Amino acid sequence: MKDIIKITFPLVVIFVVAGVIMAVTYQYTHPVRVQAEKKEKELALKEMAPQATDPIKPAGTWTVNNKPYEYYQATAGGKPIASIAETAGKGYSSYIKMLVALSPDMKISDVKVLDMNETPGLGDQVLEKSFLDQFKGKSLPQIVLIKGETKENIQAVSGATYSSRGVTNGVKDAVQMLVDKYGAGIKTAAAQGVTK
Amino acid sequence: MSNNVSLGTLFKNGVFGENPVFRLALSLCPAVAVTSGVKNGFLMGVAVLFVMTMTNVTVSLLRNFINPKVRIPSYVFITATWVTVIDLWMSANQRAVYKDMGLYIMLIVAFAIILSRAEMFASKNKLLPSFVDGVGMGVGFLLALMLLGVFREFLGKGSLWGAQILPGKPLLIAIMPTGGFFAMGLMMGGLNWMDRKFFGGTGGGGGGHH
Repeated sequence: MKDIIKITFPLVVIFVVAGVIMAVTYQYTHPVRVQAEKKEKELALKEMAPQATDPIKPAGTWTVNNKPYEYYQATAGGKPIASIAETAGKGYSSYIKMLVALSPDMKISDVKVLDMNETPGLGDQVLEKSFLDQFKGKSLPQIVLIKGETKENIQAVSGATYSSRGVTNGVKDAVQMLVDKYGAGIKTAAAQGVTK
Repeated sequence: MSNNVSLGTLFKNGVFGENPVFRLALSLCPAVAVTSGVKNGFLMGVAVLFVMTMTNVTVSLLRNFINPKVRIPSYVFITATWVTVIDLWMSANQRAVYKDMGLYIMLIVAFAIILSRAEMFASKNKLLPSFVDGVGMGVGFLLALMLLGVFREFLGKGSLWGAQILPGKPLLIAIMPTGGFFAMGLMMGGLNWMDRKFFGGTGGGGGGHH
Protein backbone atom coordinates (compact mmCIF):
# COMPACT_ATOMS: atom_id res chain seq x y z
CA MET A 1 0.00 0.00 0.00
CA LYS A 2 2.74 2.40 1.00
CA ASP A 3 4.63 1.43 -2.12
CA ILE A 4 1.71 2.23 -4.35
CA ILE A 5 1.46 5.72 -2.93
CA LYS A 6 5.21 6.22 -3.17
CA ILE A 7 5.14 5.31 -6.86
CA THR A 8 1.91 7.00 -7.81
CA PHE A 9 2.27 10.26 -5.95
CA PRO A 10 5.10 11.79 -8.04
CA LEU A 11 3.36 10.66 -11.20
CA VAL A 12 0.10 12.32 -10.17
CA VAL A 13 1.94 15.51 -9.26
CA ILE A 14 3.62 15.59 -12.68
CA PHE A 15 0.30 14.97 -14.43
CA VAL A 16 -1.47 17.72 -12.51
CA VAL A 17 1.30 20.30 -12.98
CA ALA A 18 1.59 19.42 -16.68
CA GLY A 19 -2.16 19.73 -17.03
CA VAL A 20 -2.08 23.18 -15.46
CA ILE A 21 0.75 24.29 -17.77
CA MET A 22 -1.18 23.13 -20.83
CA ALA A 23 -4.41 24.71 -19.65
CA VAL A 24 -2.74 28.06 -19.02
CA THR A 25 -1.05 27.98 -22.45
CA TYR A 26 -4.39 27.19 -24.05
CA GLN A 27 -6.04 30.01 -22.14
CA TYR A 28 -3.59 32.52 -23.54
CA THR A 29 -3.17 31.20 -27.07
CA HIS A 30 -6.73 30.24 -27.96
CA PRO A 31 -8.19 33.75 -28.35
CA VAL A 32 -5.15 34.77 -30.43
CA ARG A 33 -5.66 31.73 -32.63
CA VAL A 34 -9.37 32.36 -33.14
CA GLN A 35 -8.62 35.98 -34.03
CA ALA A 36 -5.89 34.98 -36.48
CA GLU A 37 -8.11 32.37 -38.13
CA LYS A 38 -10.93 34.86 -38.56
CA LYS A 39 -8.59 37.42 -40.07
CA GLU A 40 -7.08 34.84 -42.42
CA LYS A 41 -10.53 33.90 -43.65
CA GLU A 42 -11.50 37.52 -44.27
CA LEU A 43 -8.25 38.09 -46.12
CA ALA A 44 -8.71 35.00 -48.27
CA LEU A 45 -12.27 36.02 -49.15
CA LYS A 46 -11.14 39.54 -49.96
CA GLU A 47 -8.52 38.11 -52.32
CA MET A 48 -11.19 36.11 -54.12
CA ALA A 49 -13.18 39.25 -54.88
CA PRO A 50 -10.77 42.19 -54.93
CA GLN A 51 -13.36 44.56 -56.42
CA ALA A 52 -15.75 44.11 -53.51
CA THR A 53 -16.19 47.33 -51.57
CA ASP A 54 -18.64 46.06 -48.96
CA PRO A 55 -17.76 43.44 -46.39
CA ILE A 56 -18.25 39.95 -47.84
CA LYS A 57 -21.24 38.34 -46.15
CA PRO A 58 -22.02 34.66 -45.61
CA ALA A 59 -25.04 33.67 -47.69
CA GLY A 60 -25.61 30.19 -46.34
CA THR A 61 -24.17 26.72 -45.98
CA TRP A 62 -24.08 23.77 -48.34
CA THR A 63 -22.84 20.20 -48.11
CA VAL A 64 -20.18 18.40 -50.08
CA ASN A 65 -18.47 15.14 -49.08
CA ASN A 66 -20.85 15.07 -46.10
CA LYS A 67 -19.29 18.16 -44.63
CA PRO A 68 -20.89 21.56 -44.32
CA TYR A 69 -19.24 24.49 -46.10
CA GLU A 70 -20.20 28.11 -46.34
CA TYR A 71 -20.81 30.29 -49.33
CA TYR A 72 -20.67 34.06 -49.57
CA GLN A 73 -21.90 37.02 -51.56
CA ALA A 74 -19.51 39.81 -52.45
CA THR A 75 -21.01 43.15 -53.32
CA ALA A 76 -19.77 46.55 -54.42
CA GLY A 77 -22.08 49.43 -53.64
CA GLY A 78 -24.93 47.00 -53.02
CA LYS A 79 -24.56 45.29 -56.43
CA PRO A 80 -23.48 41.65 -56.43
CA ILE A 81 -20.12 41.17 -58.11
CA ALA A 82 -19.16 37.66 -57.09
CA SER A 83 -20.35 34.53 -55.33
CA ILE A 84 -17.74 32.67 -53.39
CA ALA A 85 -18.04 29.11 -52.10
CA GLU A 86 -15.93 27.05 -49.79
CA THR A 87 -15.58 23.56 -51.16
CA ALA A 88 -13.50 20.40 -51.01
CA GLY A 89 -12.62 17.54 -53.31
CA LYS A 90 -11.10 14.17 -52.50
CA GLY A 91 -7.56 14.03 -53.80
CA TYR A 92 -5.07 11.21 -53.51
CA SER A 93 -4.32 11.40 -49.81
CA SER A 94 -6.48 14.20 -48.47
CA TYR A 95 -9.48 16.41 -48.99
CA ILE A 96 -8.34 19.45 -50.92
CA LYS A 97 -10.11 22.45 -49.42
CA MET A 98 -10.68 25.40 -51.74
CA LEU A 99 -12.41 28.68 -52.34
CA VAL A 100 -14.12 29.19 -55.68
CA ALA A 101 -15.30 32.58 -56.89
CA LEU A 102 -17.89 33.03 -59.61
CA SER A 103 -18.60 36.27 -61.41
CA PRO A 104 -22.31 37.17 -61.90
CA ASP A 105 -22.25 35.63 -65.41
CA MET A 106 -21.52 32.29 -63.71
CA LYS A 107 -17.95 32.01 -64.95
CA ILE A 108 -15.12 31.12 -62.60
CA SER A 109 -13.08 34.16 -61.68
CA ASP A 110 -10.69 32.53 -59.23
CA VAL A 111 -9.81 29.26 -57.49
CA LYS A 112 -7.68 29.15 -54.40
CA VAL A 113 -6.49 26.10 -52.44
CA LEU A 114 -6.80 26.64 -48.70
CA ASP A 115 -5.68 23.35 -47.29
CA MET A 116 -4.43 20.03 -48.59
CA ASN A 117 -2.11 17.19 -47.76
CA GLU A 118 -1.16 15.66 -51.08
CA THR A 119 2.12 13.92 -51.86
CA PRO A 120 4.97 16.46 -51.88
CA GLY A 121 6.50 16.74 -55.33
CA LEU A 122 3.64 14.99 -57.10
CA GLY A 123 0.16 15.80 -55.84
CA ASP A 124 1.10 19.23 -54.59
CA GLN A 125 1.75 20.32 -58.17
CA VAL A 126 -1.95 21.17 -58.36
CA LEU A 127 -1.07 24.24 -56.30
CA GLU A 128 0.85 25.64 -59.24
CA LYS A 129 -0.58 28.65 -61.03
CA SER A 130 -0.39 26.95 -64.41
CA PHE A 131 -2.94 24.37 -63.23
CA LEU A 132 -5.26 26.56 -61.17
CA ASP A 133 -5.34 29.38 -63.74
CA GLN A 134 -6.97 26.97 -66.20
CA PHE A 135 -10.23 27.35 -64.28
CA LYS A 136 -10.42 31.10 -64.81
CA GLY A 137 -13.14 32.19 -67.23
CA LYS A 138 -14.60 28.68 -67.55
CA SER A 139 -18.26 27.88 -67.03
CA LEU A 140 -19.87 24.73 -65.61
CA PRO A 141 -19.97 22.49 -68.73
CA GLN A 142 -16.29 23.17 -69.39
CA ILE A 143 -15.11 21.90 -66.03
CA VAL A 144 -14.08 18.44 -67.17
CA LEU A 145 -10.70 16.92 -66.40
CA ILE A 146 -8.79 15.74 -69.46
CA LYS A 147 -5.55 13.79 -69.53
CA GLY A 148 -3.67 15.51 -72.31
CA GLU A 149 -3.59 18.85 -74.12
CA THR A 150 -6.73 20.91 -73.83
CA LYS A 151 -7.63 24.57 -73.94
CA GLU A 152 -11.38 24.10 -73.66
CA ASN A 153 -11.37 21.95 -70.53
CA ILE A 154 -9.06 21.32 -67.58
CA GLN A 155 -5.77 19.57 -68.26
CA ALA A 156 -4.64 17.20 -65.51
CA VAL A 157 -1.12 17.59 -64.15
CA SER A 158 0.82 14.52 -65.25
CA GLY A 159 1.81 12.50 -62.21
CA ALA A 160 -0.93 14.14 -60.17
CA THR A 161 -4.10 12.83 -61.81
CA TYR A 162 -5.89 12.01 -58.55
CA SER A 163 -5.09 15.37 -57.03
CA SER A 164 -6.14 17.14 -60.24
CA ARG A 165 -9.40 15.22 -60.13
CA GLY A 166 -9.91 16.22 -56.50
CA VAL A 167 -9.53 19.90 -57.32
CA THR A 168 -11.72 19.64 -60.42
CA ASN A 169 -14.52 17.75 -58.62
CA GLY A 170 -14.46 20.20 -55.72
CA VAL A 171 -14.67 23.18 -58.06
CA LYS A 172 -17.37 21.54 -60.15
CA ASP A 173 -19.56 20.79 -57.13
CA ALA A 174 -19.21 24.36 -55.92
CA VAL A 175 -20.00 25.86 -59.32
CA GLN A 176 -22.99 23.53 -59.72
CA MET A 177 -24.32 24.62 -56.34
CA LEU A 178 -23.83 28.32 -57.06
CA VAL A 179 -25.40 28.05 -60.52
CA ASP A 180 -28.40 26.24 -59.00
CA LYS A 181 -28.74 28.98 -56.42
CA TYR A 182 -27.98 32.09 -58.45
CA GLY A 183 -27.75 31.00 -62.08
CA ALA A 184 -31.45 31.42 -62.79
CA GLY A 185 -30.93 35.12 -62.24
CA ILE A 186 -28.98 35.62 -65.46
CA LYS A 187 -31.34 33.57 -67.59
CA THR A 188 -34.42 35.51 -66.56
CA ALA A 189 -32.91 38.46 -68.37
CA ALA A 190 -32.99 41.77 -66.64
CA ALA A 191 -32.56 40.38 -63.15
CA GLN A 192 -30.42 42.98 -61.47
CA GLY A 193 -30.24 41.84 -57.89
CA VAL A 194 -29.42 38.20 -57.50
CA THR A 195 -32.22 36.46 -55.70
CA LYS A 196 -32.71 32.86 -54.95
CA MET B 1 29.38 10.41 -20.80
CA SER B 2 29.44 11.63 -17.28
CA ASN B 3 29.85 14.87 -15.43
CA ASN B 4 33.56 15.21 -16.10
CA VAL B 5 33.01 15.81 -19.83
CA SER B 6 33.28 19.49 -20.75
CA LEU B 7 30.16 21.20 -22.02
CA GLY B 8 31.76 21.99 -25.38
CA THR B 9 32.57 18.33 -25.93
CA LEU B 10 29.04 17.44 -24.93
CA PHE B 11 27.61 19.81 -27.53
CA LYS B 12 29.95 18.58 -30.27
CA ASN B 13 29.06 15.06 -29.32
CA GLY B 14 25.39 15.69 -30.02
CA VAL B 15 26.07 17.36 -33.34
CA PHE B 16 28.78 15.06 -34.73
CA GLY B 17 30.00 12.12 -32.70
CA GLU B 18 26.56 10.93 -31.68
CA ASN B 19 24.42 12.65 -34.25
CA PRO B 20 20.90 11.37 -33.55
CA VAL B 21 20.10 10.53 -37.15
CA PHE B 22 23.41 9.47 -38.69
CA ARG B 23 25.11 8.02 -35.63
CA LEU B 24 22.56 6.86 -33.12
CA ALA B 25 20.15 6.06 -35.97
CA LEU B 26 17.20 7.16 -33.87
CA SER B 27 14.02 8.87 -35.04
CA LEU B 28 14.68 7.83 -38.62
CA CYS B 29 10.97 7.62 -39.33
CA PRO B 30 10.28 11.36 -38.99
CA ALA B 31 13.66 12.09 -40.54
CA VAL B 32 12.49 10.37 -43.70
CA ALA B 33 8.92 11.66 -43.51
CA VAL B 34 9.53 15.40 -43.33
CA THR B 35 12.71 15.87 -45.36
CA SER B 36 11.17 16.13 -48.81
CA GLY B 37 12.19 19.79 -48.64
CA VAL B 38 14.83 21.86 -46.87
CA LYS B 39 12.24 24.14 -45.29
CA ASN B 40 10.23 21.32 -43.74
CA GLY B 41 13.40 19.75 -42.41
CA PHE B 42 14.47 23.02 -40.85
CA LEU B 43 11.11 23.74 -39.22
CA MET B 44 10.84 20.23 -37.85
CA GLY B 45 14.40 20.50 -36.56
CA VAL B 46 13.62 23.72 -34.71
CA ALA B 47 10.53 22.22 -33.10
CA VAL B 48 12.50 19.16 -32.02
CA LEU B 49 15.34 21.34 -30.72
CA PHE B 50 12.88 23.16 -28.47
CA VAL B 51 11.07 20.08 -27.19
CA MET B 52 14.35 18.21 -26.75
CA THR B 53 15.94 20.97 -24.68
CA MET B 54 12.87 21.58 -22.53
CA THR B 55 12.32 17.87 -21.90
CA ASN B 56 15.96 17.35 -20.96
CA VAL B 57 15.87 20.31 -18.59
CA THR B 58 12.60 19.22 -16.97
CA VAL B 59 13.65 15.61 -16.59
CA SER B 60 16.99 16.68 -15.13
CA LEU B 61 15.29 18.96 -12.60
CA LEU B 62 12.86 16.24 -11.58
CA ARG B 63 15.36 13.38 -11.70
CA ASN B 64 15.25 12.79 -7.95
CA PHE B 65 11.49 13.21 -7.80
CA ILE B 66 10.48 10.81 -10.55
CA ASN B 67 10.05 7.28 -9.27
CA PRO B 68 12.24 4.95 -11.39
CA LYS B 69 9.41 2.42 -11.61
CA VAL B 70 7.20 4.86 -13.49
CA ARG B 71 9.88 6.92 -15.21
CA ILE B 72 8.77 6.19 -18.79
CA PRO B 73 5.21 7.52 -18.37
CA SER B 74 6.71 10.52 -16.58
CA TYR B 75 9.13 11.26 -19.44
CA VAL B 76 6.49 10.80 -22.08
CA PHE B 77 4.10 13.06 -20.25
CA ILE B 78 6.74 15.76 -19.83
CA THR B 79 7.51 15.54 -23.55
CA ALA B 80 3.80 15.66 -24.39
CA THR B 81 3.39 18.78 -22.28
CA TRP B 82 6.11 20.69 -24.11
CA VAL B 83 4.90 19.47 -27.47
CA THR B 84 1.39 20.70 -26.64
CA VAL B 85 2.78 24.05 -25.52
CA ILE B 86 4.74 24.61 -28.73
CA ASP B 87 1.80 23.33 -30.80
CA LEU B 88 -0.62 25.77 -29.17
CA TRP B 89 1.84 28.63 -29.38
CA MET B 90 2.58 28.05 -33.05
CA SER B 91 -1.08 27.65 -33.94
CA ALA B 92 -1.70 31.10 -32.50
CA ASN B 93 1.43 33.08 -33.32
CA GLN B 94 3.12 31.38 -36.25
CA ARG B 95 0.21 30.64 -38.56
CA ALA B 96 2.22 30.34 -41.78
CA VAL B 97 4.66 27.86 -40.26
CA TYR B 98 1.88 25.98 -38.50
CA LYS B 99 0.07 25.40 -41.78
CA ASP B 100 3.13 23.66 -43.16
CA MET B 101 4.00 21.48 -40.21
CA GLY B 102 1.13 21.43 -37.76
CA LEU B 103 0.62 17.83 -38.71
CA TYR B 104 4.11 16.76 -37.67
CA ILE B 105 4.39 18.63 -34.39
CA MET B 106 2.23 16.23 -32.40
CA LEU B 107 4.37 13.33 -33.61
CA ILE B 108 7.34 14.65 -31.66
CA VAL B 109 5.82 13.07 -28.53
CA ALA B 110 6.73 9.65 -29.86
CA PHE B 111 10.24 10.50 -31.08
CA ALA B 112 12.69 7.88 -29.91
CA ILE B 113 15.50 10.39 -29.71
CA ILE B 114 13.75 12.53 -27.09
CA LEU B 115 12.78 9.64 -24.87
CA SER B 116 16.22 8.12 -25.19
CA ARG B 117 18.02 11.35 -24.18
CA ALA B 118 15.74 11.67 -21.17
CA GLU B 119 16.43 8.08 -20.18
CA MET B 120 20.14 7.91 -21.05
CA PHE B 121 21.32 11.38 -20.12
CA ALA B 122 19.00 13.85 -18.44
CA SER B 123 17.83 11.46 -15.75
CA LYS B 124 21.43 10.93 -14.62
CA ASN B 125 22.93 14.40 -15.03
CA LYS B 126 22.72 17.88 -13.56
CA LEU B 127 20.77 20.72 -15.11
CA LEU B 128 23.51 22.41 -17.16
CA PRO B 129 24.95 19.31 -18.86
CA SER B 130 21.41 18.12 -19.61
CA PHE B 131 20.58 21.47 -21.17
CA VAL B 132 23.72 21.38 -23.32
CA ASP B 133 23.04 17.78 -24.30
CA GLY B 134 19.52 18.71 -25.34
CA VAL B 135 20.72 21.66 -27.41
CA GLY B 136 23.54 19.61 -28.95
CA MET B 137 21.29 16.70 -29.87
CA GLY B 138 18.64 19.11 -31.13
CA VAL B 139 21.12 20.96 -33.33
CA GLY B 140 22.50 17.63 -34.56
CA PHE B 141 18.99 16.52 -35.49
CA LEU B 142 18.29 19.86 -37.16
CA LEU B 143 21.47 19.72 -39.26
CA ALA B 144 20.86 16.12 -40.26
CA LEU B 145 17.31 16.92 -41.35
CA MET B 146 18.47 19.92 -43.34
CA LEU B 147 21.23 17.92 -45.00
CA LEU B 148 18.73 15.27 -46.03
CA GLY B 149 16.35 18.00 -47.15
CA VAL B 150 18.99 19.66 -49.34
CA PHE B 151 19.93 16.35 -50.91
CA ARG B 152 16.35 15.24 -51.58
CA GLU B 153 14.83 18.55 -52.61
CA PHE B 154 17.70 19.34 -54.97
CA LEU B 155 17.56 15.95 -56.66
CA GLY B 156 13.80 15.54 -56.55
CA LYS B 157 12.55 18.99 -57.39
CA GLY B 158 15.64 20.83 -58.60
CA SER B 159 15.04 23.51 -56.00
CA LEU B 160 16.29 24.57 -52.58
CA TRP B 161 13.99 26.07 -49.92
CA GLY B 162 11.32 26.35 -52.60
CA ALA B 163 13.51 28.38 -54.97
CA GLN B 164 13.88 26.70 -58.34
CA ILE B 165 17.54 26.20 -59.31
CA LEU B 166 17.50 23.52 -61.98
CA PRO B 167 14.96 23.75 -64.80
CA GLY B 168 13.63 20.22 -64.38
CA LYS B 169 13.32 17.44 -61.87
CA PRO B 170 16.47 15.34 -62.11
CA LEU B 171 15.34 12.42 -59.95
CA LEU B 172 11.75 12.55 -58.82
CA ILE B 173 12.10 9.45 -56.67
CA ALA B 174 14.30 11.39 -54.23
CA ILE B 175 11.30 13.14 -52.68
CA MET B 176 9.18 10.02 -52.51
CA PRO B 177 9.32 7.97 -49.29
CA THR B 178 11.47 5.39 -51.09
CA GLY B 179 13.97 8.08 -51.98
CA GLY B 180 14.10 9.06 -48.33
CA PHE B 181 15.49 5.66 -47.43
CA PHE B 182 17.98 5.81 -50.28
CA ALA B 183 19.13 9.27 -49.24
CA MET B 184 19.42 8.22 -45.61
CA GLY B 185 21.45 5.10 -46.41
CA LEU B 186 23.76 6.82 -48.85
CA MET B 187 24.35 9.72 -46.52
CA MET B 188 25.00 7.55 -43.49
CA GLY B 189 27.43 5.46 -45.52
CA GLY B 190 29.12 8.54 -46.92
CA LEU B 191 29.58 10.12 -43.51
CA ASN B 192 30.98 6.90 -42.04
CA TRP B 193 33.40 6.65 -44.93
CA MET B 194 34.51 10.25 -44.43
CA ASP B 195 34.88 9.72 -40.72
CA ARG B 196 37.10 6.68 -41.24
CA LYS B 197 39.11 8.23 -44.04
CA PHE B 198 39.80 11.71 -42.70
CA PHE B 199 39.18 11.71 -38.97
CA GLY B 200 40.44 8.30 -38.04
CA GLY B 201 37.13 7.28 -36.53
CA THR B 202 35.78 3.79 -36.49
CA GLY B 203 32.90 4.85 -38.69
CA GLY B 204 30.46 2.88 -36.63
CA GLY B 205 27.36 4.84 -37.48
CA GLY B 206 24.01 3.23 -36.95
CA GLY B 207 25.12 1.43 -33.86
CA GLY B 208 26.52 4.17 -31.71
CA HIS B 209 29.94 5.76 -31.94
CA HIS B 210 32.59 5.75 -29.16
